[in-house]
Amino acid sequence: MDYATLMMAVMALPVAAAVIMAILPAKATPRPIYETLHVVSLAGVLALAVVLVVGVVGSGQPQDAVGHWFHLDALGCVFLALIGAVGFLTGLFAVPYVRHDVEIGHMGPGQVKQFYVFFDLFVFTMLLVTMSNNIIMMWVGIEATTLSTVFLVGSYNTKLSLEAAWKYVIVCTAGVAFGLYSTVLVYANAADIMADPHQAVFWTELLPYAPQFDAMIVQIAFVFAAVGFGTKAGLFPMHTWLPDAHSEAPSPVSGLLSGVLLKCAMLVIIRFYILAVQCVGPEFPQAVMLVLGLLSVAVAAFAVFSQDDLKRKLAYSSCENVGVIALCLGFGGPLGVAAALLHCVMHGLTKSFVFCLSGNVLMKYGTRDLNKISGMIKVAPATAVLLAIGMFGLSAFPPFAMFVSEVSMFVAGVLSDKLWAVIIAAIALTVVIAAFARVVTGSVMGTPPEGMEKRDVKPFAFVPEIVLAVVIVWFGVAMPQPLLSGIEEATSVVLQQDSDALQQAPLFKDLFAATDGASDVASE
Amino acid sequence: MTGYTLVNILGGALILTSMLVVLSKAPRKAAFLYAVQSLVLISLFVVLGMTTGSTELYTWAGTGFVTKVLFVPLAILFVCKKMGDAGAGLEPKLTPVKSIVLIAIEVFVCFVVVQGIDLPTAADVKPALAISLAHFFIGLTCIVTQRNIVKQIFGYCLMENGSHVTLALLAPQAPELVEVGIATDAIFAVVIMAVVAMRIYRTAGTLDADDLMELKG
Repeated sequence: MDYATLMMAVMALPVAAAVIMAILPAKATPRPIYETLHVVSLAGVLALAVVLVVGVVGSGQPQDAVGHWFHLDALGCVFLALIGAVGFLTGLFAVPYVRHDVEIGHMGPGQVKQFYVFFDLFVFTMLLVTMSNNIIMMWVGIEATTLSTVFLVGSYNTKLSLEAAWKYVIVCTAGVAFGLYSTVLVYANAADIMADPHQAVFWTELLPYAPQFDAMIVQIAFVFAAVGFGTKAGLFPMHTWLPDAHSEAPSPVSGLLSGVLLKCAMLVIIRFYILAVQCVGPEFPQAVMLVLGLLSVAVAAFAVFSQDDLKRKLAYSSCENVGVIALCLGFGGPLGVAAALLHCVMHGLTKSFVFCLSGNVLMKYGTRDLNKISGMIKVAPATAVLLAIGMFGLSAFPPFAMFVSEVSMFVAGVLSDKLWAVIIAAIALTVVIAAFARVVTGSVMGTPPEGMEKRDVKPFAFVPEIVLAVVIVWFGVAMPQPLLSGIEEATSVVLQQDSDALQQAPLFKDLFAATDGASDVASE
Repeated sequence: MTGYTLVNILGGALILTSMLVVLSKAPRKAAFLYAVQSLVLISLFVVLGMTTGSTELYTWAGTGFVTKVLFVPLAILFVCKKMGDAGAGLEPKLTPVKSIVLIAIEVFVCFVVVQGIDLPTAADVKPALAISLAHFFIGLTCIVTQRNIVKQIFGYCLMENGSHVTLALLAPQAPELVEVGIATDAIFAVVIMAVVAMRIYRTAGTLDADDLMELKG
């Protein structure tokens, strides 16, 4: 099978599963049928994603499908891999989580069906964003991610979850309308310059013409894109929907929203960033990202600290980490861009891991209030140990994965001569460490609530969590070579430079030394 | 009168009608006004099509008529009927005078910004272009200032209309598929927002955005 067919297959699979599940009658269909369709489709997405990523990154050749409509380059591969892996693992965690919700009467058959149908549609919409080459469809994809997740956020049909769903849909559709405006501006400008206006809608076709674009239009378009898609990514001050939606959604959905969806929105911003850099040079787009990133990190860090609700704390931490990604893009240069992409992966894995654990905590304690959650090590030891790992991982302590990307960010900041921004970020991240240390001392340790028996959640729930825990330690201790070369190739897509030019940049070679060393050994 | 002059005049009519949508209190009335506003939009597409010779714009006018003049207002009227016109008495957060002043400021700022654009296709339609950008912000104003969540849906529709006019002005030759993609997505957005609004009304018995402020911090 060729890559174009595989690209279509990876998108068709979750849609097909969603359609079949939607047709099945909710009450008459046993729950295991939904669970099997859901898990098998997501496993298929993961398998196809791996084949595509290995093929595209390995060959260094981007692939197109349906003419120019779909395009998979190394940059898209970073996000495709994340969707495949985190989509499957959070999808797997959803099975015991939904079973528990059914047992305690939070979900009926109709809601279970709705959950699985929209989960698969959600995965499809993210794949659409990642592989769209048509800029209008890229926007449609982002908008569709909102529409497919509204009912996931409002799964429980309670006043609070519906309030969160409303804020989510109204803020994100309004925000993403800014994204539409910027897309329209870019398209219109491209159509004016290019001989065939039908080609002006394709990102790969319009990019070579970027230097001829009207500078004013591109600047307006970039600001609109940063605001519009930044709303979806959860950048301050457009983040208001995020803590509500991510905390009210069922935990596996929160994991996928925080771990992957926010990064997909960042991918679209990165596509506009590339365009803006090619047209008006790096200063303007970097300044915009630096301001948004630094504000997000600084404001969200204190919100992380002040929250008593575990999932809201994690949601604000997502704002903070999306801020870190924006900040890396603001620092710019090969190291800054590589750090941004690396942080997308590392935070995606770590945050989905911790959100799944918040699901364990909810199943055990029945509350998200950290004042009521204590002594976990005594009543749910496995969850407690994993949660401690997660909290240290989110604090970016070594040997966990986020340590690598955050250190890269600091180095990129120093190299770009923006020491003041590095210092502000460092102070904010210290506040985050304090916030998560408090969770470990207060909730993992301490005395358990009176009368609570010692019994952890069902073993099945631990399978995806242990896999994620192993991965974040593995990536923190010894980053695998294919990941490094993938990030390097993706960086060269963002900067529109080849790998040799990137290696000339200060310190970049040190981070990617393994690549260089490997080729040296091969040449000897 | 040249075609472009007519386009610019219709642009002015767009601002007037969108202002009426923002100012009308009851969602039912807003639905009718939105249908009128969409008719102005469709006329703008037709006039622009005749002026530029772009046949694509006629297709846009056709799909726009079905989606914007008929579907969206009917969907909202259906929702209002289902909920027995609930929330019709909810006052917006800004008085009409303040809303008008705010919209006037938005239009002025957009005119200033558009002067900086130096694109051959934009030369004849700069006033309309400024208006389309302002239209987008009027939609945003509608979302921010309305307490009735059904009225907030119109805010999104106005923003989307603003983007649509910009696309028509700057890229009249855009393939129909581009326009169809945007229109379809907007329909889904309106339907989903309407469903969520109805669920909120069923569960919480309110359509007041101020009552939906329990999640904080």
